[in-house]
Amino acid sequence: MLQIYLPIAEISVNLVVMLGLGAAVGFLSGMFGVGGGFLLTPLLMLSGIPPAIAVATGANQIVGTSVSGTLAQWRRGNVDLRMGFVLIVGGVVGAVIGVFLLKILRERGQAGLMISLTYVAFLGVIGALMLWESVNAIRRARAGKTVSSRRSGQHNWIHGLPFKMRFPRSRLYISAIPPLVIGALVGLLASFLGVGGGFIMVPALIYLLRMPTNIVIGTSIFQIIFITAIVTLLHATLNYTLDIVLAFLLVIGGVIGGQFGVRAGQKLRGEQLRALLALMVLGVAIRILFDLVLRPSELFSIVPLAGV
Amino acid sequence: MRTAAIRLTALLLALSMTCVLSATLALAQKKPPPPPEEPASQEQVQSDISTREIAIQSNFTGIEILIFGSVDFSDSRTPGEGTYDVIAVVRGPDEPIILRKKERVAGIWVNGPGKTYSTVPGFYAVLSTRPVRAIASDETLKELGIGLSDLDFGRYTQGDPQEQAYRSAMIRLNEQKKLFQERDAAVKFIGRSLFRATVALPVAVPTGRYTVDVYLFRDGAVASKSQGSLQVTKAGIEQLVYALAFKRPFLYGLVGVIIAVLAGLAGWFAFRRD
Repeated sequence: MLQIYLPIAEISVNLVVMLGLGAAVGFLSGMFGVGGGFLLTPLLMLSGIPPAIAVATGANQIVGTSVSGTLAQWRRGNVDLRMGFVLIVGGVVGAVIGVFLLKILRERGQAGLMISLTYVAFLGVIGALMLWESVNAIRRARAGKTVSSRRSGQHNWIHGLPFKMRFPRSRLYISAIPPLVIGALVGLLASFLGVGGGFIMVPALIYLLRMPTNIVIGTSIFQIIFITAIVTLLHATLNYTLDIVLAFLLVIGGVIGGQFGVRAGQKLRGEQLRALLALMVLGVAIRILFDLVLRPSELFSIVPLAGV
Repeated sequence: MRTAAIRLTALLLALSMTCVLSATLALAQKKPPPPPEEPASQEQVQSDISTREIAIQSNFTGIEILIFGSVDFSDSRTPGEGTYDVIAVVRGPDEPIILRKKERVAGIWVNGPGKTYSTVPGFYAVLSTRPVRAIASDETLKELGIGLSDLDFGRYTQGDPQEQAYRSAMIRLNEQKKLFQERDAAVKFIGRSLFRATVALPVAVPTGRYTVDVYLFRDGAVASKSQGSLQVTKAGIEQLVYALAFKRPFLYGLVGVIIAVLAGLAGWFAFRRD
């Protein structure tokens, strides 16, 4: 029933399931300002899509959901264009490195393992940190203390770096080096894991650069459009792993879900939003860790010798 | 590249066959015609396939094909006599593959180095009237490439127990995906000389040219053989997408990005509240 054949993945999938998957991930994307790829890519792999195709196609889907997500944020003035462009410049460099890294690992049969390990490490650490921070913030708020998430007077080592730039929208005057490095790291993760990288971009901008949370979400989703577009192009050209038909289904579900997600996100407070995101990030990390540690039901696997 | 190679071999085969044919024809012409009173006892098998062209389109979820045929000059008097046995072998194009086994390293399961098999058919089905080992000797079956146990996958695995374990795992995985099938009693005789068998090609079948060899066995030896083929191709949008993805990958990626951006814009305009 409503089965559709995917020309590149070469399997038949259920139309409704894939639309629903896109919608669910799009909802989260709109709500948290993350690409949602950290959920989409593992879920695609669970539904039988080969890992490399899941990564490339996931990236393509995130392009679509990020466009509508960005427009929603843009209207509320939450996009820092200048910061976005600095992040993109770094991101392009990282994305190119990531695509080649994945190509080498695939040839050695270790792509799946390295993807999983990287997921566990990043999602685990970031999820735990975010949960810790947001629970503390919620507790302080309950205790009646006024919390300012922005400690503008405070200076750290980042402020000692050269090449300072002014970012008026974020009310920052900092060196361009940290955003470039953050952008590159996120670009690397984007191409390697098939994620937008919001789950690392958002905390990095909040905690390291001390940007206001609302601007962080808008700027993060804005730069994700460009990074995932480049990642999609690179994977399609170098690895032939993009399935347009699957991406189309996911993106249709995604943009619809995304619009509802933005509205749901407005009803929640910043720290609650962060706590929820942290729980989800941790959940995915634990799930992947289980798959690595538990004895697999099937030890053997077949892969075609030539990718093409 | 591969299709070109296949075409070339097909051409060469056809050429050599024409040569052989014309030679035998020439010989036959020189020979005096056989005496008409000689009984036509040499049984002949004829067969065909219900579908010679299989097009994979967006609604493709696998397909069942029918292999049918008849035994001419059959000596069999009644349907259930069992004078003849039929074995049909459907074989898809060969592909090189790597088989990997996960091993536990420092508490996590890691892919081992893997073993390469250079000629694994993308699809392989043996359909028969009875278990093939009851029909013919192991040597005969091996010679004809009938049966998974003796199939040459392009890797020497005799004697080594570890190699044997890998080989059977590879066969098992392909059997799970219905890409390898061995079905006794799949070929049924209808009446004295007519027989039929169905085989299901799963959704994961590779594209390319498939050969269908139908063997007629009598007393453990091949009495007659009939050959056919079928072509599995992607068609319609599937074909277009596939060709674009591999021939113009950059353009293909760009199309993917543009579709996503347009869908994102459309979603935004459709749900805008003002």
